[in-house]
Amino acid sequence: METGKIREERRLSGVSKDQRDVRQGDDGAPPGEAPTLGMKIEDLSAFYGSFKAVTDVSIDIRANKVTALIGPSGCGKSTFIRCLNRMHEVLPGAHAEGRVMLGDQDIYAKTSDPVNIRRRVGMVFQKPNPFSKSIYENVAWGARINGYKGDMDELVERSLKHAALWEEVKDRLKESGHGLSGGQQQRLCIARTLAVEPEVILMDEPASALDPVSTQKIEDTMEQLKQSYTVVIVTHNMQQAARISDYTGFFYIENMGDPGRLWEFDGTEKMFSNPERKETEDYVTGRFG
Amino acid sequence: MPRETFQQELDGLISDLLELGEEVEASLENMVRAMEGRDAGIARQELGVDIRYKARGMDIERECMILQARQAPVAGDLRLLYTVQSVTNHLVRSGTLCEHICQAITETIDSERDEDLETALVEMARTARNVFNEGLDVFKNRDIERARDLQAKDDKVDLLYSEAMNLIANPSEGGGGAPEWRMRAALMVHYLERISDHGVDIGGSAVFLVTGQRIEDAMQQYLDRNVDYDGDGT
Repeated sequence: METGKIREERRLSGVSKDQRDVRQGDDGAPPGEAPTLGMKIEDLSAFYGSFKAVTDVSIDIRANKVTALIGPSGCGKSTFIRCLNRMHEVLPGAHAEGRVMLGDQDIYAKTSDPVNIRRRVGMVFQKPNPFSKSIYENVAWGARINGYKGDMDELVERSLKHAALWEEVKDRLKESGHGLSGGQQQRLCIARTLAVEPEVILMDEPASALDPVSTQKIEDTMEQLKQSYTVVIVTHNMQQAARISDYTGFFYIENMGDPGRLWEFDGTEKMFSNPERKETEDYVTGRFG
Repeated sequence: MPRETFQQELDGLISDLLELGEEVEASLENMVRAMEGRDAGIARQELGVDIRYKARGMDIERECMILQARQAPVAGDLRLLYTVQSVTNHLVRSGTLCEHICQAITETIDSERDEDLETALVEMARTARNVFNEGLDVFKNRDIERARDLQAKDDKVDLLYSEAMNLIANPSEGGGGAPEWRMRAALMVHYLERISDHGVDIGGSAVFLVTGQRIEDAMQQYLDRNVDYDGDGT
């Protein structure tokens, strides 16, 4: 039986027991498919110039699971996930410290190519941002510039099917992506991300600008995606986190001006039924602020 | 405080629940007095409470359902609503059992009785009432330390259950009271034991409400139980 001290250490480090017990990538993958990689983050801190926005986050992102990150605005959730595919450093003066492992590769190692990392760890943003191209080209473009040599038609169809959009667009692939509804555009962006065959998909509030029906479709899509990918989602919609995620991390800033930190991390059922920390309880029950 | 209206609705729900609990406590008090004094008049006051308690219980459960639908409660709020529904069920069932006992009292008021058995029954009724009242008090005050003692108090009810059942099964020669009364006594013994169990469960629900641990603990106790299938003590 684990002691209270071990439990406390695990909670603070953001690593739950079954995460330690299960090696990344060895469960959850559908039969016949190669297991997807998870991520292991150790002591990650993110800076904007000299300002430390996020501090000392350690967390295991399990393969083939959906991990939701929740927390009040400005607590570093989006900054944190942008560190997971080296998007954070794109901003002038921004940098990250710590270790982020994708499988057995340290993505911040000098030998790691940021462009390749961003292909392997794809990102979907809050606002759908399709290219001014056809639906087909929106999906094919990324794969083409990455030198994809396979059957492009098959790749486009497969990606659109994974994003649960194929049935709605299969007869108008040459039409502009901008002609789609907001929810369809967001699923097109997911298909575009999938087409470059990533292992991890990061989603930064992917449904916050969508109507309830489109939101539901995105959520259904995520349930499908985790069969083949590792998914990390930032959301302000706590019911959405409760519905779709397997694990939930709560980010929190203790005092104004402090950096955000991972305050509690556990299975979603635990986080939404009996969280360990009062601040988490206050946040998920809406008593925050 | 954010969600002030929701909090007020939760407070109102607990208030309704405790009000129902106090009414059931009063019914149990009447039941004990009727048994102590062989008083059919007092027992008769409790006939019909079952329907009233069920209606109150349905009102509380409806309110729980509405709050779940409208407020999407999680964590402590979710545990509270779950616990309120569970405690409501225990209260209503205890009220039903109380009415059954009072019904038996009124129907056998003139029957010949076994004094030893009647003494055991009255003692059992007092103890079951006390366990029930304490369980409700533990819930009201969320006093989880006292909740752990409730089981020991319920053990006394279980001992009295065995004693009473032994007297029913083995009446003294020439004694034992009228058969219809003995038959009713056997049912009353069973009902009283259940009322005490409901009291333990009501108190135990406070543990789940406060810590979220009760269900897991109960499951572990169930898995770890040492059942004596042969009845030989091994």
